[in-house]
Amino acid sequence: MPPGLRVNAVAFISAQNHPIIVRTFSAQDETTIKYHYIAHTSLDVIEERVNAAGGKSTDCYLGLLYAMEDVAVYGYITPLKVKIVLALALSDSVVRDVEINMIFKALHMAYYSSISNPFLTHNDDSVDGSRTLTVGSTKWKNFRRRIDEIARVVGNPTSTSIGGG
Amino acid sequence: MATTSKQYLTRGEDLWKGRAEKVNAELFALTYGALVVQLIQDYEDFAEVNKQLEKMGYNIGTRLIEDFLAKSGLGRCTDFREVGEVIAKVGFKSFLNIVPSVTHNAPVPNSSRPTSTGSAPQVDNGSSFVLTFDENPLAEFVELPEDVLEGGLWFSNVLCGVIRGALEMVQMQVQAEFISDVLRGDEATEIRVRLVKYLEEEVPVGDD
Repeated sequence: MPPGLRVNAVAFISAQNHPIIVRTFSAQDETTIKYHYIAHTSLDVIEERVNAAGGKSTDCYLGLLYAMEDVAVYGYITPLKVKIVLALALSDSVVRDVEINMIFKALHMAYYSSISNPFLTHNDDSVDGSRTLTVGSTKWKNFRRRIDEIARVVGNPTSTSIGGG
Repeated sequence: MATTSKQYLTRGEDLWKGRAEKVNAELFALTYGALVVQLIQDYEDFAEVNKQLEKMGYNIGTRLIEDFLAKSGLGRCTDFREVGEVIAKVGFKSFLNIVPSVTHNAPVPNSSRPTSTGSAPQVDNGSSFVLTFDENPLAEFVELPEDVLEGGLWFSNVLCGVIRGALEMVQMQVQAEFISDVLRGDEATEIRVRLVKYLEEEVPVGDD
Protein backbone atom coordinates (compact mmCIF):
# COMPACT_ATOMS: atom_id res chain seq x y z
CA MET A 1 0.00 0.00 0.00
CA PRO A 2 1.67 3.29 -1.04
CA PRO A 3 2.46 5.53 1.93
CA GLY A 4 0.72 8.55 0.51
CA LEU A 5 -2.86 7.29 0.72
CA ARG A 6 -4.86 9.46 3.05
CA VAL A 7 -8.52 8.90 3.61
CA ASN A 8 -10.24 12.24 3.92
CA ALA A 9 -13.77 11.01 4.26
CA VAL A 10 -16.06 8.01 4.03
CA ALA A 11 -19.76 8.33 3.30
CA PHE A 12 -22.45 5.67 3.34
CA ILE A 13 -25.67 6.44 1.49
CA SER A 14 -28.73 4.27 1.66
CA ALA A 15 -30.66 2.81 -1.22
CA GLN A 16 -33.19 5.63 -0.92
CA ASN A 17 -30.34 8.13 -1.20
CA HIS A 18 -30.47 9.12 2.45
CA PRO A 19 -27.11 9.60 4.10
CA ILE A 20 -26.36 6.89 6.63
CA ILE A 21 -23.09 8.21 7.89
CA VAL A 22 -20.46 10.69 6.76
CA ARG A 23 -17.18 10.35 8.58
CA THR A 24 -14.35 12.79 7.97
CA PHE A 25 -10.74 12.46 8.96
CA SER A 26 -9.28 15.81 8.09
CA ALA A 27 -8.29 18.18 10.83
CA GLN A 28 -10.74 21.02 10.47
CA ASP A 29 -14.42 20.77 11.30
CA GLU A 30 -15.43 23.18 8.60
CA THR A 31 -14.69 20.65 5.93
CA THR A 32 -17.34 18.22 7.16
CA ILE A 33 -20.01 20.01 5.19
CA LYS A 34 -17.76 19.87 2.16
CA TYR A 35 -17.79 16.10 2.32
CA HIS A 36 -21.55 16.05 2.62
CA TYR A 37 -21.55 18.04 -0.59
CA ILE A 38 -19.08 15.66 -2.20
CA ALA A 39 -21.16 12.67 -1.21
CA HIS A 40 -24.21 14.36 -2.65
CA THR A 41 -22.64 15.14 -6.00
CA SER A 42 -21.24 11.63 -6.11
CA LEU A 43 -24.79 10.33 -6.16
CA ASP A 44 -25.38 11.72 -9.62
CA VAL A 45 -22.19 10.27 -10.96
CA ILE A 46 -22.98 6.90 -9.41
CA GLU A 47 -26.44 6.84 -10.90
CA GLU A 48 -24.98 7.70 -14.26
CA ARG A 49 -22.43 4.90 -14.05
CA VAL A 50 -24.96 2.36 -12.87
CA ASN A 51 -27.36 3.20 -15.66
CA ALA A 52 -24.60 3.09 -18.21
CA ALA A 53 -23.67 -0.38 -17.07
CA GLY A 54 -27.29 -1.37 -17.69
CA GLY A 55 -27.87 -5.08 -17.31
CA LYS A 56 -24.30 -5.86 -16.44
CA SER A 57 -24.44 -4.36 -12.98
CA THR A 58 -22.80 -7.13 -11.05
CA ASP A 59 -19.70 -5.06 -10.35
CA CYS A 60 -19.73 -3.42 -6.94
CA TYR A 61 -16.67 -1.33 -7.46
CA LEU A 62 -17.32 1.77 -9.56
CA GLY A 63 -13.83 3.19 -9.65
CA LEU A 64 -12.86 6.82 -9.72
CA LEU A 65 -16.00 8.90 -9.95
CA TYR A 66 -14.38 12.29 -10.28
CA ALA A 67 -11.68 14.47 -8.85
CA MET A 68 -12.10 17.95 -7.53
CA GLU A 69 -9.91 20.43 -5.67
CA ASP A 70 -7.70 18.25 -3.53
CA VAL A 71 -9.68 15.03 -3.39
CA ALA A 72 -10.24 12.04 -5.59
CA VAL A 73 -13.61 10.43 -5.09
CA TYR A 74 -14.20 6.73 -5.52
CA GLY A 75 -17.51 4.92 -5.51
CA TYR A 76 -18.84 1.49 -4.61
CA ILE A 77 -22.36 0.17 -4.68
CA THR A 78 -23.49 -2.86 -2.71
CA PRO A 79 -25.92 -5.39 -4.14
CA LEU A 80 -28.69 -3.78 -2.08
CA LYS A 81 -27.90 -0.40 -3.58
CA VAL A 82 -26.15 1.05 -0.56
CA LYS A 83 -23.50 3.41 -1.88
CA ILE A 84 -20.12 3.93 -0.32
CA VAL A 85 -18.18 7.03 -1.28
CA LEU A 86 -14.52 7.32 -0.45
CA ALA A 87 -12.69 10.63 -0.69
CA LEU A 88 -8.93 10.31 -0.84
CA ALA A 89 -6.50 13.16 -0.71
CA LEU A 90 -4.95 13.67 -4.13
CA SER A 91 -1.37 12.61 -4.20
CA ASP A 92 1.27 12.01 -6.78
CA SER A 93 1.75 8.37 -5.92
CA VAL A 94 0.13 5.76 -8.11
CA VAL A 95 -3.13 4.57 -6.66
CA ARG A 96 -4.13 1.10 -7.69
CA ASP A 97 -7.74 0.06 -8.20
CA VAL A 98 -7.24 -3.20 -6.42
CA GLU A 99 -6.22 -1.43 -3.21
CA ILE A 100 -9.20 0.91 -3.31
CA ASN A 101 -11.40 -2.11 -3.91
CA MET A 102 -9.92 -3.74 -0.81
CA ILE A 103 -10.74 -0.66 1.24
CA PHE A 104 -14.30 -0.75 -0.07
CA LYS A 105 -14.64 -4.43 0.75
CA ALA A 106 -13.48 -3.76 4.30
CA LEU A 107 -15.98 -0.89 4.62
CA HIS A 108 -18.72 -3.08 3.19
CA MET A 109 -17.96 -5.79 5.75
CA ALA A 110 -17.94 -3.23 8.56
CA TYR A 111 -21.36 -2.06 7.43
CA TYR A 112 -22.61 -5.62 7.19
CA SER A 113 -21.38 -6.47 10.69
CA SER A 114 -23.10 -3.43 12.11
CA ILE A 115 -26.47 -3.98 10.48
CA SER A 116 -26.40 -7.61 11.59
CA ASN A 117 -26.81 -6.36 15.15
CA PRO A 118 -30.20 -7.76 16.12
CA PHE A 119 -30.92 -4.74 18.33
CA LEU A 120 -30.67 -2.28 15.48
CA THR A 121 -34.34 -2.37 14.53
CA HIS A 122 -35.34 -2.82 18.14
CA ASN A 123 -36.10 0.82 18.77
CA ASP A 124 -36.43 1.86 15.20
CA ASP A 125 -39.58 3.80 14.40
CA SER A 126 -38.84 4.64 10.82
CA VAL A 127 -41.20 2.90 8.47
CA ASP A 128 -39.15 2.85 5.35
CA GLY A 129 -36.57 0.59 6.88
CA SER A 130 -33.73 3.00 6.43
CA ARG A 131 -31.63 3.16 9.54
CA THR A 132 -30.50 6.70 9.04
CA LEU A 133 -32.28 8.22 11.97
CA THR A 134 -30.42 6.25 14.59
CA VAL A 135 -26.92 6.77 13.24
CA GLY A 136 -25.93 9.23 15.93
CA SER A 137 -26.83 6.83 18.70
CA THR A 138 -24.63 4.42 20.58
CA LYS A 139 -25.81 1.46 18.53
CA TRP A 140 -23.63 2.63 15.68
CA LYS A 141 -20.64 3.20 17.91
CA ASN A 142 -18.89 0.06 16.75
CA PHE A 143 -19.57 0.94 13.14
CA ARG A 144 -17.88 4.31 13.58
CA ARG A 145 -15.03 2.59 15.37
CA ARG A 146 -14.57 0.12 12.52
CA ILE A 147 -14.57 2.87 9.92
CA ASP A 148 -11.98 4.79 11.95
CA GLU A 149 -9.88 1.66 12.23
CA ILE A 150 -9.99 1.07 8.47
CA ALA A 151 -9.03 4.66 7.77
CA ARG A 152 -6.21 4.43 10.27
CA VAL A 153 -4.83 1.25 8.76
CA VAL A 154 -4.97 2.77 5.29
CA GLY A 155 -3.04 5.77 6.46
CA ASN A 156 -0.44 3.72 8.29
CA PRO A 157 0.35 0.74 6.12
CA THR A 158 3.40 -0.13 8.20
CA SER A 159 1.36 -0.81 11.32
CA THR A 160 0.83 -4.52 11.84
CA SER A 161 -2.58 -4.35 13.46
CA ILE A 162 -5.35 -6.15 11.65
CA GLY A 163 -8.37 -3.96 10.87
CA GLY A 164 -11.25 -4.51 13.25
CA GLY A 165 -14.53 -6.19 12.34
CA MET B 1 -7.80 -44.20 35.70
CA ALA B 2 -8.61 -40.52 35.45
CA THR B 3 -8.91 -39.12 31.97
CA THR B 4 -6.51 -36.28 31.48
CA SER B 5 -7.49 -32.87 30.30
CA LYS B 6 -5.67 -33.41 27.03
CA GLN B 7 -7.70 -36.53 26.38
CA TYR B 8 -10.87 -34.55 26.94
CA LEU B 9 -9.72 -31.93 24.47
CA THR B 10 -8.96 -34.58 21.87
CA ARG B 11 -12.31 -36.20 22.47
CA GLY B 12 -14.07 -32.89 21.99
CA GLU B 13 -12.11 -32.19 18.83
CA ASP B 14 -13.01 -35.60 17.41
CA LEU B 15 -16.65 -35.14 18.21
CA TRP B 16 -16.69 -31.74 16.53
CA LYS B 17 -14.99 -33.03 13.43
CA GLY B 18 -17.12 -36.14 13.34
CA ARG B 19 -20.35 -34.22 13.24
CA ALA B 20 -21.72 -34.48 9.73
CA GLU B 21 -24.14 -31.58 9.91
CA LYS B 22 -22.91 -28.22 10.93
CA VAL B 23 -24.81 -24.98 10.60
CA ASN B 24 -23.53 -21.67 9.31
CA ALA B 25 -22.31 -19.60 12.23
CA GLU B 26 -23.73 -16.33 10.98
CA LEU B 27 -27.14 -17.87 10.42
CA PHE B 28 -27.02 -19.27 13.93
CA ALA B 29 -26.02 -15.93 15.45
CA LEU B 30 -28.66 -14.03 13.48
CA THR B 31 -31.35 -16.55 14.45
CA TYR B 32 -30.51 -16.34 18.13
CA GLY B 33 -30.33 -12.57 17.96
CA ALA B 34 -33.75 -12.36 16.34
CA LEU B 35 -35.09 -14.66 19.03
CA VAL B 36 -33.79 -12.50 21.87
CA VAL B 37 -35.09 -9.30 20.30
CA GLN B 38 -38.50 -10.87 19.81
CA LEU B 39 -38.59 -12.01 23.44
CA ILE B 40 -37.75 -8.48 24.54
CA GLN B 41 -40.60 -7.12 22.47
CA ASP B 42 -42.99 -9.73 23.82
CA TYR B 43 -42.13 -9.54 27.50
CA GLU B 44 -40.72 -6.02 27.79
CA ASP B 45 -39.18 -6.96 31.15
CA PHE B 46 -35.56 -7.97 31.02
CA ALA B 47 -35.63 -10.16 34.11
CA GLU B 48 -38.49 -12.08 32.54
CA VAL B 49 -36.57 -12.41 29.29
CA ASN B 50 -33.62 -13.82 31.22
CA LYS B 51 -35.94 -16.33 32.83
CA GLN B 52 -37.47 -17.35 29.51
CA LEU B 53 -34.07 -17.77 27.89
CA GLU B 54 -33.00 -19.95 30.79
CA LYS B 55 -36.18 -22.01 30.49
CA MET B 56 -35.62 -22.50 26.79
CA GLY B 57 -32.07 -23.52 27.50
CA TYR B 58 -33.29 -25.98 30.11
CA ASN B 59 -35.51 -27.71 27.58
CA ILE B 60 -32.67 -27.81 25.09
CA GLY B 61 -30.25 -29.16 27.69
CA THR B 62 -32.47 -32.04 28.77
CA ARG B 63 -32.45 -33.28 25.18
CA LEU B 64 -28.92 -32.36 24.28
CA ILE B 65 -27.44 -34.53 27.02
CA GLU B 66 -28.76 -37.67 25.30
CA ASP B 67 -27.00 -36.78 22.07
CA PHE B 68 -23.86 -35.91 23.98
CA LEU B 69 -23.67 -39.10 26.02
CA ALA B 70 -24.46 -41.26 23.03
CA LYS B 71 -21.83 -39.72 20.81
CA SER B 72 -19.10 -39.18 23.36
CA GLY B 73 -19.44 -42.48 25.17
CA LEU B 74 -18.10 -40.91 28.34
CA GLY B 75 -18.94 -42.55 31.61
CA ARG B 76 -20.06 -40.99 34.87
CA CYS B 77 -17.84 -38.26 36.20
CA THR B 78 -16.14 -39.07 39.49
CA ASP B 79 -16.59 -35.66 41.03
CA PHE B 80 -17.93 -32.22 40.27
CA ARG B 81 -14.53 -31.05 39.23
CA GLU B 82 -14.53 -33.55 36.42
CA VAL B 83 -18.02 -32.41 35.45
CA GLY B 84 -16.63 -28.95 34.86
CA GLU B 85 -13.78 -30.28 32.75
CA VAL B 86 -16.04 -32.42 30.60
CA ILE B 87 -18.55 -29.63 30.02
CA ALA B 88 -15.88 -27.18 28.98
CA LYS B 89 -13.59 -29.39 26.95
CA VAL B 90 -15.94 -31.94 25.43
CA GLY B 91 -19.42 -30.44 25.70
CA PHE B 92 -18.91 -26.92 24.45
CA LYS B 93 -16.29 -28.06 21.98
CA SER B 94 -18.47 -30.64 20.33
CA PHE B 95 -21.51 -28.39 19.98
CA LEU B 96 -20.18 -24.87 19.58
CA ASN B 97 -16.54 -25.47 18.74
CA ILE B 98 -15.39 -23.26 21.59
CA VAL B 99 -13.45 -24.29 24.68
CA PRO B 100 -14.11 -22.06 27.67
CA SER B 101 -11.49 -22.19 30.39
CA VAL B 102 -12.54 -23.67 33.73
CA THR B 103 -11.73 -22.41 37.19
CA HIS B 104 -12.73 -24.73 40.00
CA ASN B 105 -13.82 -23.62 43.44
CA ALA B 106 -14.01 -25.90 46.43
CA PRO B 107 -17.24 -25.93 48.39
CA VAL B 108 -17.63 -23.12 50.87
CA PRO B 109 -17.18 -24.72 54.29
CA ASN B 110 -20.37 -24.49 56.31
CA SER B 111 -19.84 -24.96 60.03
CA SER B 112 -23.50 -25.58 60.71
CA ARG B 113 -23.63 -28.51 58.36
CA PRO B 114 -23.42 -31.81 60.28
CA THR B 115 -20.38 -33.88 59.47
CA SER B 116 -21.26 -36.06 56.59
CA THR B 117 -21.21 -39.77 57.14
CA GLY B 118 -22.57 -40.39 53.68
CA SER B 119 -20.79 -41.16 50.48
CA ALA B 120 -18.17 -38.96 48.85
CA PRO B 121 -20.54 -36.93 46.65
CA GLN B 122 -21.84 -35.13 49.74
CA VAL B 123 -18.53 -33.35 49.96
CA ASP B 124 -19.07 -31.78 46.57
CA ASN B 125 -22.27 -29.93 47.45
CA GLY B 126 -21.69 -26.28 47.14
CA SER B 127 -18.63 -26.64 44.97
CA SER B 128 -18.63 -24.68 41.79
CA PHE B 129 -16.68 -23.90 38.69
CA VAL B 130 -16.53 -20.85 36.52
CA LEU B 131 -16.47 -21.08 32.74
CA THR B 132 -14.69 -18.21 31.08
CA PHE B 133 -15.50 -17.67 27.41
CA ASP B 134 -13.11 -15.78 25.19
CA GLU B 135 -15.48 -16.04 22.28
CA ASN B 136 -19.24 -16.39 22.07
CA PRO B 137 -20.72 -17.51 18.75
CA LEU B 138 -24.20 -16.45 19.89
CA ALA B 139 -23.21 -12.83 20.23
CA GLU B 140 -21.36 -12.45 16.97
CA PHE B 141 -22.74 -9.09 15.81
CA VAL B 142 -24.42 -7.91 18.95
CA GLU B 143 -24.16 -4.49 20.49
CA LEU B 144 -26.55 -3.93 23.36
CA PRO B 145 -28.39 -0.60 23.35
CA GLU B 146 -28.48 1.46 26.53
CA ASP B 147 -31.90 0.49 27.79
CA VAL B 148 -31.04 -3.17 27.44
CA LEU B 149 -27.76 -2.65 29.27
CA GLU B 150 -29.51 -0.97 32.16
CA GLY B 151 -32.26 -3.56 32.18
CA GLY B 152 -29.85 -6.31 33.14
CA LEU B 153 -30.27 -8.65 30.19
CA TRP B 154 -27.91 -11.60 29.97
CA PHE B 155 -27.88 -12.08 26.23
CA SER B 156 -26.61 -15.64 26.16
CA ASN B 157 -28.64 -16.83 29.13
CA VAL B 158 -29.82 -19.82 27.13
CA LEU B 159 -26.41 -21.38 27.81
CA CYS B 160 -27.07 -21.37 31.56
CA GLY B 161 -30.32 -23.19 30.97
CA VAL B 162 -28.64 -25.77 28.76
CA ILE B 163 -26.10 -26.55 31.47
CA ARG B 164 -28.77 -26.82 34.16
CA GLY B 165 -31.03 -29.02 32.02
CA ALA B 166 -28.26 -31.32 30.89
CA LEU B 167 -26.87 -31.85 34.38
CA GLU B 168 -30.30 -32.43 35.85
CA MET B 169 -30.71 -35.40 33.53
CA VAL B 170 -27.59 -36.91 35.02
CA GLN B 171 -28.80 -36.48 38.56
CA MET B 172 -27.13 -33.22 39.46
CA GLN B 173 -29.05 -30.18 40.52
CA VAL B 174 -27.05 -27.08 39.72
CA GLN B 175 -27.42 -23.35 39.57
CA ALA B 176 -25.89 -21.79 36.49
CA GLU B 177 -25.74 -18.05 36.07
CA PHE B 178 -23.77 -15.38 34.31
CA ILE B 179 -21.32 -13.40 36.39
CA SER B 180 -20.06 -11.09 33.69
CA ASP B 181 -20.47 -10.51 29.97
CA VAL B 182 -18.33 -8.58 27.50
CA LEU B 183 -21.54 -7.39 25.84
CA ARG B 184 -22.25 -5.50 29.04
CA GLY B 185 -18.81 -3.99 29.07
CA ASP B 186 -17.25 -6.40 31.54
CA GLU B 187 -13.75 -7.79 31.14
CA ALA B 188 -14.79 -11.32 30.33
CA THR B 189 -17.81 -13.53 29.78
CA GLU B 190 -18.20 -15.93 32.69
CA ILE B 191 -20.77 -18.44 33.86
CA ARG B 192 -20.69 -19.85 37.38
CA VAL B 193 -22.08 -23.34 37.82
CA ARG B 194 -22.74 -24.33 41.41
CA LEU B 195 -23.71 -27.79 42.55
CA VAL B 196 -26.74 -27.68 44.80
CA LYS B 197 -27.07 -31.40 45.39
CA TYR B 198 -27.02 -34.77 43.77
CA LEU B 199 -30.47 -36.04 42.93
CA GLU B 200 -31.76 -39.43 43.88
CA GLU B 201 -32.96 -41.64 41.07
CA GLU B 202 -36.69 -41.20 41.10
CA VAL B 203 -39.63 -41.75 38.86
CA PRO B 204 -40.40 -38.52 37.01
CA VAL B 205 -43.53 -36.73 38.20
CA GLY B 206 -46.60 -37.70 36.26
CA ASP B 207 -45.22 -40.94 34.94
CA ASP B 208 -47.44 -43.21 36.98
